[in-house]
Amino acid sequence: MSKNTVSDRFRKVDVDEYDENKFVDEEDGGENQLGPDEAEVDSLIRQYPLKHSAVLKNPPINTKNQNVKDRAEGLVLKVLTAFKSSDIEKAVQSLDKNKVDLLMKYIYKGFERPSENSSAVLLQWHEKALSAGGVGSIVRVLTARKTV
Amino acid sequence: MSMCNSSWSQMVFYEKAHEGSRRGADTSAFLQSPQKMTATLRPYLNAVRATLQAALCLENFSSQVVERHNKPEVEVRSSKELLLQPVVISRNDKEKVLIEGSINSVRVSIAVKQADEIEKILCHKFMRFMMMRAENFFILRRKPVEGYDISFLITNFHTEQMYKHKLRNSSKIFEDLSLESFCSRLGRRCGSHGK
Repeated sequence: MSKNTVSDRFRKVDVDEYDENKFVDEEDGGENQLGPDEAEVDSLIRQYPLKHSAVLKNPPINTKNQNVKDRAEGLVLKVLTAFKSSDIEKAVQSLDKNKVDLLMKYIYKGFERPSENSSAVLLQWHEKALSAGGVGSIVRVLTARKTV
Repeated sequence: MSMCNSSWSQMVFYEKAHEGSRRGADTSAFLQSPQKMTATLRPYLNAVRATLQAALCLENFSSQVVERHNKPEVEVRSSKELLLQPVVISRNDKEKVLIEGSINSVRVSIAVKQADEIEKILCHKFMRFMMMRAENFFILRRKPVEGYDISFLITNFHTEQMYKHKLRNSSKIFEDLSLESFCSRLGRRCGSHGK
């Protein structure tokens, strides 16, 4: 018909890609985040009373490397199970708000892979962290764009 | 359907008579587990209840893809910005609850403990019975999510019409549904499994 419809390449363009309102997840580089230091955590586990602030210090939130995340999760789980039930409440009280949110994230991550006794321990931690952080901490876990 | 049911429950009764003697020997071993099981039940239910309370904040949201349509985003999964992180709460490796949220809907999937073949069959039949009548339940999903036994889909329209705490409790009924309590209603001796 008219000259401008000779080529039909425009039909193959995915218009949704160029929509300016399209949502893209921000991905800032998290390459340098290594997760908590293993040796340090091991030494802290051996001494009593336990301090788990070290293991929550360097969360590998932005890394896309799955190994680092798995290793960090394993470490946190080790620390959490090493605690005595009576000490859990005190430990949770000593954390500030951001750390409580981080703890909640790790608790839910730990639930995904239930082993021997881990779920029972995690449920205790969940109860105490909930009383410290409230329902808001769970909401922050659900709405977080970057998981631990 | 009713014919099927009666023959099925008859089968269970025969099983009971047959196995009664066999199970007697095992009772003592299983009696130790009741305390351990009940110890995790309370915190498990509380954790699920709290998470559901957090996830059940829904608002109306029309579809961004098709005009004048309103779809539960957790089922459609068209846009990442509308979905929340899926979260699992597990009591052990057999029992868990998966909660997937979104802006206007929440999908709750429950995996119920099934200790042996008979319980698997009973669970399957019971869930199928419920799911075939999903229309009367409103929030029940007709097919469970992969890896789970039963699923609920709760949308903002449900939360607008029903009490939120009642919605929470209705899914709790299913978690608490140990097949032992169900079986005992059928007259089978399930006390050996403990609770």
